[in-house]
Amino acid sequence: MKTHKVTFYPDNRVAEVADGESVLTAAIAAEVHITATCGGDGDCGKCRVIVDDGAIVTKQTPKVSDEDAAKGYVLACLTSVTSDLKVLVPPETRLGIVPEETEEAVTYGKMMTAAEEAESLDAITLDPPVAQFFLTMTPPTLDDNASDTVRLTRALRQAGVDEPVIFKPAALKEAAVACRQEEWQVTATVRRDPEQALVTMLQPGDQTGRAVALAIDVGTTTVVGKLIDLDTKEAVAETSAYNRQISCGEDVISRIVYSQRPGGQARLRELVVDTINEALRRLLTAADMTQDNVVAVYAAGNTIMQHLLLGLNPKYLREEPYIPTATTFPWVRARELGLKLGPRTNLYPLPCVASYLGADIVAGIVAAGIPTSEKLSLYIDVGTNGEMVLGNNEYLVSCSCSAGPAFEGGGVKYGMRATFGAIEEVLVDPTTYEPTIKTVGGKRPIGICGSGLIDALAEMFEAGVIDAKGKINVDLPTDRTRIGPSGPEYALAAAGDNGADRDIVITEADIDNLLRAKAAVFAAVMVLLDSVSVSLQDVDRFYIAGSFGRHLDAARAITIGLLPDLPTDKFYYIGNGSLWGAHNSAISREKRAEIAATAARMTYLDLSTNNKFMDGYVAALFLPHTDATLFPSVKTGARA
Amino acid sequence: MEVKETYNGKIREATIGLGDTAVTVGGETSLPLYMFEGAAPNKPVIALEVYDTKPEDWPEAAIAPYADVLDDPVKWALKCQDEYKADMICLNLASTNPSTGDRNGADIAPIVKAVADAIKIPLIVYGTANADKDAEVMPKAAEACQGKRALIGPVEEENYKTVAAAALGFDHLAAPHSPIDVNIAKQLNILITQLGLAPERVIIDPTTGALGYGLEYCYSVMERLRLAAMTQNDSMTQMPMINQIGREVWKAKEVKTSEADEPAWGDAETRGVLWEALTATALIMAGSNILVMRHPKAVELTRQFVAALTGATN
Repeated sequence: MKTHKVTFYPDNRVAEVADGESVLTAAIAAEVHITATCGGDGDCGKCRVIVDDGAIVTKQTPKVSDEDAAKGYVLACLTSVTSDLKVLVPPETRLGIVPEETEEAVTYGKMMTAAEEAESLDAITLDPPVAQFFLTMTPPTLDDNASDTVRLTRALRQAGVDEPVIFKPAALKEAAVACRQEEWQVTATVRRDPEQALVTMLQPGDQTGRAVALAIDVGTTTVVGKLIDLDTKEAVAETSAYNRQISCGEDVISRIVYSQRPGGQARLRELVVDTINEALRRLLTAADMTQDNVVAVYAAGNTIMQHLLLGLNPKYLREEPYIPTATTFPWVRARELGLKLGPRTNLYPLPCVASYLGADIVAGIVAAGIPTSEKLSLYIDVGTNGEMVLGNNEYLVSCSCSAGPAFEGGGVKYGMRATFGAIEEVLVDPTTYEPTIKTVGGKRPIGICGSGLIDALAEMFEAGVIDAKGKINVDLPTDRTRIGPSGPEYALAAAGDNGADRDIVITEADIDNLLRAKAAVFAAVMVLLDSVSVSLQDVDRFYIAGSFGRHLDAARAITIGLLPDLPTDKFYYIGNGSLWGAHNSAISREKRAEIAATAARMTYLDLSTNNKFMDGYVAALFLPHTDATLFPSVKTGARA
Repeated sequence: MEVKETYNGKIREATIGLGDTAVTVGGETSLPLYMFEGAAPNKPVIALEVYDTKPEDWPEAAIAPYADVLDDPVKWALKCQDEYKADMICLNLASTNPSTGDRNGADIAPIVKAVADAIKIPLIVYGTANADKDAEVMPKAAEACQGKRALIGPVEEENYKTVAAAALGFDHLAAPHSPIDVNIAKQLNILITQLGLAPERVIIDPTTGALGYGLEYCYSVMERLRLAAMTQNDSMTQMPMINQIGREVWKAKEVKTSEADEPAWGDAETRGVLWEALTATALIMAGSNILVMRHPKAVELTRQFVAALTGATN
């Protein structure tokens, strides 16, 4: 078989691929991460690259303008390799790095602060599901002739382990030497499940004090990991990275589609494992530790991510009636999954509720304290899917809706994730219609991210650039609104403004995608409230989770009718609830049990055939909403 | 025991035309025909269809009453007014349809003006529901009948800025048309009134389905609009409604098929007339205020129905 070398710049990475393979496939092979929202179907137009040198066969696509085509731009997914190539990946196509979280104050509502996080940690009694015990035993004699394991079991009883004790074969094999080497002083690593305590490892002497657990939030977009000190309960290192599966599609649906290609499911598992291994490597370096220190892994993610990580076929999650293989999972050997950890280290996947309501949400609501509070709370996590939970200590109802990728910059012509150069804040002057923009990192604008899109939509609506249906008024006395190649558009940045090297516009089609996304989320909220016959006013606390929620300007999100019009004192941001839940699980058997019990008692409403949802969705396809009484604080009405 | 509901809402009254022959519709203070719970000061009215060009695809039974005037919209309109006693005329600008005649606004303006000047009763002017084409044609049509306070439609989501603005600018009423959807009907009303058109000058066209062709969907949506208007006092649904019945009924297979082709179905004219009258009466029960119809005999049956209902409760 003929193969060709493809070199990607500026990374200078090389892949050798078969003749006729796509440039996108080559990029994945070279571990060069190229944005491909649609998973390589030629639909999203995001995988723009420039072929510098070499022969290719590329399909014509309206996603690349004639002007750009003349400069050598092609879509990586539609371009076949037919000779050795040099490919330049421009900044807007690169994955970028996850910008560091800043302790920036939120302007609407209340942020859960670092101090409060520490306080809530204090309230948890240290009792890790996987713990190390330093045991001192009396040496055996002819009179006291009990076996090593009986002695070990007795010592564990004294240390407070009251479940039946079982020894794993590997631990049994090392028991004789371990017990005797340091004169009947050993460190036992024990995994404490509700029904039994499993001794997984025995080491001579006192090895305690260095054990950590890895808590990870396996997000569709971002993977965040923490090393948790199992003595202090605190995180000793934290890191985040884009989930490398992004190259195979931006949202969970496109991942499921990709998993059904030949080798797709294995590839996806490999990519997420690579991402976790890279995060782990960084964490261990930062904490000055080795893999031997890691005694357990706790992974929270949505149901699709959990399936892909565990190697379960996600195919039936997207086919009616949307049934997952499992919602509760057994401990699995981390090394069997491909994680670079010791052979005795196990991974606990946190439990899910339904195909589209995962462990990330369950973990988050427990972190927020909702299942134990009398107060009625509404919890919402918005990304490519919107997931929401309503309830208190008496009941918990939940649902999810597809918001599409718009909030993460997908399905939008100049959309991008919130990396450097993404327009994240927008102001539009209501008299001149001129925009003022702020980008992530203050860099030159290369696109617009979800929070920027929401800002832009709210500002354009308030300035009268768009009407309540999201239609752009191209008759305004400004060059900013105009008919572009794909219909009416508004220029947020013209080439030259703030150093932009191309015009960055919002098109009417982009606005439609955003409207659909926000309408789905709001309609789902209304269905949830309606299902238990409560109104928005009955909600005591409104929690916003997720990194998108964190960066969202809630006041602007209310203006466009994405979030309900509730007063600022009811808004709480809890950041990464998923990671927080994994962290809690790592240090407390009680928390781990509470998360499991919460998952088991949540009611899930499927919206796919819900008439009220469809009706509410159309009602919400309007700014802020067809029923203006739901948004009393939003000023509506004609502008001259 | 007598149980009566009281309603918060009221349908706005809208007046089409000027002077003695002006027609007012709406004003109900209860759900449709619940005259034991509220008032219905204005009876449903019937507009007869007139086309700007000779129809090609009408069944024989629909042609017969107009056989001598089909070539001349003015004579046709006068016949509807004088002989068939229409309450209003609905002039359909079918010849502007891009896939058939594709005439433009300037071509049809004289026809609109001639009809408007000839008749005494109020005028409705309807485009072809091709959003782009109507955006060009309807402002010309609205201008041609300026001063008549006509009803201009359909106003679509895609062209409301042009078509509703023309109704506003030339002092007419507008008929926003929504695709059997309460929310979209409401959204269009919000957009149009935000443009500056008073809500008293808006008549909702909720989309009409003939008997056997979606009548029940149409009925449900009208019912929901009326429930929102009456029980939730939802201002943006409290407008009278118009239904384009004739053109929907007379394209149904059951109406178009001749007796020769389907002897078991019986006389084609009787069949068509009943089909149209049944559709119309169902829509009156759903709350329709303006019924645009085709066959004079169907009109007659519908009038008897209206008289029976309103007479019985007077």
